Amino acid sequence: MTIVEPILTFFFYAIVAIAAQNAIFTRALGVSRLVKIVDDGSVELFKFGALLTAVQLISSLLSFFAGRALMGLALPYKSAFLPLVLVLCSAIAFFIVLLILVLPKKRALAKDYVTLLPMATFNCSILGTLLLTSTGGYTLLQSLGFSLGSAVGYVLAVVLVNEGQRKIQNRGLPATFRGLPITLIYIGILALAIYGFSGHTPAI
Amino acid sequence: MKQENSNYLINNMDRLMQRDRIFLNNPVFMQGLGLAPIVVAATTLHNALVLGLGVLLLLTPTRLVAAMVCRGRWPRFRGVAYALTAAVVYIGVWFAENALFGVGMQTVGLYLPLLVVEPIILKRYERTQPERLGTAVRKGLVTTFGFLLALLLVAALRELLGAGTLLGYAVASRPVLPMAQLVSGGFILVGVLAAAWRWMRNLIKRVVSMEANLK
Repeated sequence: MTIVEPILTFFFYAIVAIAAQNAIFTRALGVSRLVKIVDDGSVELFKFGALLTAVQLISSLLSFFAGRALMGLALPYKSAFLPLVLVLCSAIAFFIVLLILVLPKKRALAKDYVTLLPMATFNCSILGTLLLTSTGGYTLLQSLGFSLGSAVGYVLAVVLVNEGQRKIQNRGLPATFRGLPITLIYIGILALAIYGFSGHTPAI
Repeated sequence: MKQENSNYLINNMDRLMQRDRIFLNNPVFMQGLGLAPIVVAATTLHNALVLGLGVLLLLTPTRLVAAMVCRGRWPRFRGVAYALTAAVVYIGVWFAENALFGVGMQTVGLYLPLLVVEPIILKRYERTQPERLGTAVRKGLVTTFGFLLALLLVAALRELLGAGTLLGYAVASRPVLPMAQLVSGGFILVGVLAAAWRWMRNLIKRVVSMEANLK
């Protein structure tokens, strides 16, 4: 029971973050980046997803302790400093992942990943999740589960919208709706489906 | 259209399409930047004012300071420099928002601190060429005004359609489209506005090229 409960908690928060509180469909976190990735078409989704997940998990671990330390300080107006602390955690995660990529000395492989790393690190999905877990009083397991689910949910949303592009970018579509407008309307319809499934709008 | 205006538009249309970040190349409706706060938090004009002040105080100073910090050194770490600069500038923004709106700033939730990594604030880091300080200020201000225009338009429409009010004052007996207050409604409304914006832009382009052909 003592082992099962934390595992269940972890996966419960991960599943909630993937489905009912999906970063894109319920909070639009990182939607500008998603639109760019889908429009660009040159970003390799697997590599981007792997980097996003790695940065999200490492920064989540760091931000859990950093957030606790900040709240423990006798400092007024802590909310003003919270984004700086969380961005610092993301920056440290950026350098840790960069180090992991550069150390094996496989230059060609590392180059592709390193190019995508800033895009995966300085993303509303990452900071939004860190803000939610820091201000929501999540435990370490809950934070890690929610962060993993948030990253996986974001990547799934990118894949879903990317696949949807093939269906929605056809000749029958009026020219003014092509590109960004139809992508947003498509995401809106998917968001409405998620809203129908969960039945509520999560607090912002 | 006046002769001199027409001539100016004909001769500079391509340049304007790239540089005019208020209407012809609006950062929100044309480039898809700054969508998260607009789609989720911009449900009332009050929220739009909170977010608008945040972007007004954050975008140009961040761009200016980051342009000074990143003068050609370590181009791979430009993203880190831009994000950390924005997070430091945000401390001042938070105090300004707190002085002006008090607890009212909490109505936008995490979308105010989230501005520090919004692509509308950080997008410039993707270009490796150093930016001149004057250009950083000019482009920062123009992008800010383009964003503010889109933000206020979307917020006013969503408040009117979704709640039947404007700045909290009732202007309709009942909301026409309550869905406009939802995230899904925000996506759809911004999508439709982006299509309308593109239609108007194409119309202007067509009128200008017709006038050019007539001469």
